Amino acid sequence: MGGLGLAFCGGMFVLSSRVLIYFQSVEMIGDLLAQQLLSMVLLTFFSMLIFSNIITALSNLYLSKDLELCHSIPVSVEELFISRSLYTFVDSSWMVIIFALPIFLAYGYVYEPDLGFYLSLIHMNVAMAIIASCIGILLTMVLVHIFPAQRTKDIVLLLSIFMVVALYLLFRFLRPERLVNPEAFFSVAQYVSALKVPDSPFLPTHWITETLWAHLNPVEGRPAESGIEILLIWATAASAVVINVWIAHFIYFDGFSKSQEAKKRRAGGKRLLDLMIMSVSKPFGKDLSAIISKDIRSFFRDNTQWSQLLLLAALIVVYLYNFSVLPLDKSPIRLDFLQNELAFLNMGLAGFVLSALCTRFVFTAVSAEGDAYWIIRSSPMRLKRYLWGKYIFFVFPILILAEVLIVATNYLLDVTLFMMILSSVTIGFMTFGIVALGIGVGAIYPKFKHENIGQVSTGFGGFLYMIISALFIGLIIILEAGPVYMLFMSQVKGSVISPIEWLFIVLSFSAVVVIIGVAIFRPMKAGLKALQRYE
Amino acid sequence: MIKLINLTKFYRGLRAVDRINLKIEKGVCFGFLGPNGAGKTTTIRMMAGVLKPTEGQIIINGHDLAKYPSAAKQCVGFIPDRPFMYEKLTGLEFLHFVAGLYGLDSTSMLNRRIGDLLGLFELKQREEELIESYSHGMKQRLIMCAALVHQPKVLIVDEPMVGLDPKGARLVKNIFREQAAEGTTIFMSTHSLEVAEEVCEEIAIIQEGRIIAHGTAGELREQAGMDGNLEDIFLRLTQER
Repeated sequence: MGGLGLAFCGGMFVLSSRVLIYFQSVEMIGDLLAQQLLSMVLLTFFSMLIFSNIITALSNLYLSKDLELCHSIPVSVEELFISRSLYTFVDSSWMVIIFALPIFLAYGYVYEPDLGFYLSLIHMNVAMAIIASCIGILLTMVLVHIFPAQRTKDIVLLLSIFMVVALYLLFRFLRPERLVNPEAFFSVAQYVSALKVPDSPFLPTHWITETLWAHLNPVEGRPAESGIEILLIWATAASAVVINVWIAHFIYFDGFSKSQEAKKRRAGGKRLLDLMIMSVSKPFGKDLSAIISKDIRSFFRDNTQWSQLLLLAALIVVYLYNFSVLPLDKSPIRLDFLQNELAFLNMGLAGFVLSALCTRFVFTAVSAEGDAYWIIRSSPMRLKRYLWGKYIFFVFPILILAEVLIVATNYLLDVTLFMMILSSVTIGFMTFGIVALGIGVGAIYPKFKHENIGQVSTGFGGFLYMIISALFIGLIIILEAGPVYMLFMSQVKGSVISPIEWLFIVLSFSAVVVIIGVAIFRPMKAGLKALQRYE
Repeated sequence: MIKLINLTKFYRGLRAVDRINLKIEKGVCFGFLGPNGAGKTTTIRMMAGVLKPTEGQIIINGHDLAKYPSAAKQCVGFIPDRPFMYEKLTGLEFLHFVAGLYGLDSTSMLNRRIGDLLGLFELKQREEELIESYSHGMKQRLIMCAALVHQPKVLIVDEPMVGLDPKGARLVKNIFREQAAEGTTIFMSTHSLEVAEEVCEEIAIIQEGRIIAHGTAGELREQAGMDGNLEDIFLRLTQER
C-alpha cells in the first residue's frame, strides 16, 4: 500500500510538473492558467477536507464505541470535545495534505520560488486544515442536533455518493480531452472562462493562493503585502476553534446523548422488496430462498450497500459513453481492423470492470453474514449448498451486466458478427469464472468481524482476489488472441486456414474451456474446505 | 436424546474440552455448570455444529453430528449466549428466515406458530420493527423464538438468562419446564446456580475441560459430602481441585 501511495504521489508530481511547464510555454495566458489551477486545487482540497471531517467527526464524536467510557470519566465536555476534535483533525487531514503535496511541490519545482513559498505552504495549509476541520465538525454538530447520529450518517453517506456520481458524470461529459484540442474553442477568452473557478476574497483558499502566488511570481505578485493574508488565515483558524468549543458547550453532549437512544425503525419498502424476492427466489429451495430473501432485504435496507449501485450505474454510463466518443475515423489504422481489435481488448477491459464489481459485492458475500454466521453454521443446510446458492444468486445478474456491456460497446464499435458472437460467448464464460473466484476466495478469507462490509474487500483477501481474477482474465485473452487473429485475417483476406492452424485454434479454445472450468470449481472447492475448517 | 462420547477439543495446543462423556435422556433438562473458561461454551458450540471437535462423537437424537450433520441439526434448536442476528430484518422476517433454513413450508400453520411464539415472548407489538432497534433482552427473546420455531427435539442453550429482566427470566424458566415436559431434551449451560437448581433435573460440573461431578442435585450433595444449596456444593467441588 505504501508503494502504491508513493507511486501515486510520484505520478501526481510528474503530471503536475508537465502541466505547469506546458502552461509556462503558453504566451499571455500561461501564468493565468497556473494561478487558476492553484486556486482550483486549493478549493478542491478545502472542500474535500470539510467533507472528510464531517465523516470522521460523526464517528469520532458520536458513534465510536469507546465514547461511552470517555463520557463516563471525570473530564469536562469541552476537554473531551477538544481531544476528539484533534483526533478528527489529524485523521481526516493527513491523507488529503499528503496527496496535495506533490502538486504544490511541482509548483516549487517549475517556478523555483524562495524559501518563503515553502514556509507559507506548510503553515497556511495547516491553518486551512484547521478551518476545514472546524467547519466540518460544526456542520456535524448541527446535523446531529437536528437528526440522530445514525440518521445523519446515512444522509451524509447518501449525499456523498450522489456528489461523487454527479462530479464523475459532470467531469466526463465536460470532455476534458477537448482542452488539448484548440479547434474546440473559438477564442482565448472562451478558453480561460472554461477554467474559471468560483473565488471570493473571503475564502481561506483565496488567501493562500494570493500568498503562494506572490512567492511564485514575485514580479507581478505582492510579497510585501501578503502578510495580511497570513494574519487573516490564522485569525480565522483561531476564531473557528474558539467558536466550535463554545458551541460544543451547548449542543455536543445533547447530540451525543440523542445518538445513544435506540429509535424504533420500521422496515421500509416492504411490498416492493417482497415482490422482488418472490420473483427472484422462486426457483430455489426453501433454505436458499430464505438466504436470498435475507440478502436482498439486508442489501436494500443498508444505505451503505445499495447506494454503491449508483456508483456502478455511473461507471457503466461513462464506460459506454467513452466508446461512443472514440474518434475512430481519425485513426491511421484500417477502420475494420481497429474496430475488431478494440472489441477484442474490450473483453479484457469489461472483465476487469466485472472483477472490480465482484470484489465489492461477490467477494464479500460470505463475510456479509457477519456475526450472525453461527445461524448458517448451526442450521441443517449444507455449506456446499450454501456456497453454490450464493454463486447462482450472483452469477446471473452479473452475466446480464457483462453481456450488456459487451453487446452495447460492440454495437457502438460496429464490429463484425463473428467478433460480436466471440466476445459475447467469451465474456459469458469468463463471468462464471470471475464470480466463482469471488465466492471461493471470499470463503477462503472470510471476515465475519467487521463494522462495515466495504472494509472487507480492501483487505488481503480482496487484493488477492483482484490479482487472481486479473491473471485469469489476462490468460483467457492471451489464449484467444492468436486464434482470433487467424480467423479474422482469413476473413479479411479471404484465405483458407491450414490444418495446423486449425489444430492451434482448437487447442487454444480447449485450453480456454479448461481454464474456465478450473476457475469455477477449484476456488469453490477450496472455499468450501476453508469454511468447514473455520472456527 | 444426546450422547457425548470422548468429546475433546484442542485450541492451539490447549485442551479446552477433555474427553467428555455424557448421556442425556429424552425430556431431561440438563444443567451444565462451571467457572469461567471451563469449556462450557466450547462444548455447546461443538454440539450446535458451529465448532468441529478434535476427537470424539456427538450423537443427537440418534444421528452422528459428524456423519449426518443435516439430520442432526434438524433436531436442534440453538440459543447462543450473544444474540447476533441480521439487524436489517424485522423480528417477523427473521423468524420466517430461520423457518426457511429448517425447510419449513410457509403455510398458515407456520404463520400461526410464529405468531404464537412472538406472543409468548411478548414481541408481537414489535414484530415489524428492524432488529437493530431491539434491546439486548428483546434480541435474546427473539433468538429463543427462532430456536423453537421448528419444534426441535433438542434445545441447546448457552447462558439463557443473560440480558433478561426478572419477568423475562421467569418466562424462560417456565418455557424450558414445559418443553422438557413435552419431551424436548434441554442442554443448558448457566452461571446462575439458582436457575440450575430450579429447572434442571440433572447437572454436570465442568472444570478445566473435564467433568468433575455429574448427577441430580442430591447426588452432587453426596459427591461433595455436604448439605446446603447448589452454590455451596459448586464452590466446594470447584475449589477442591
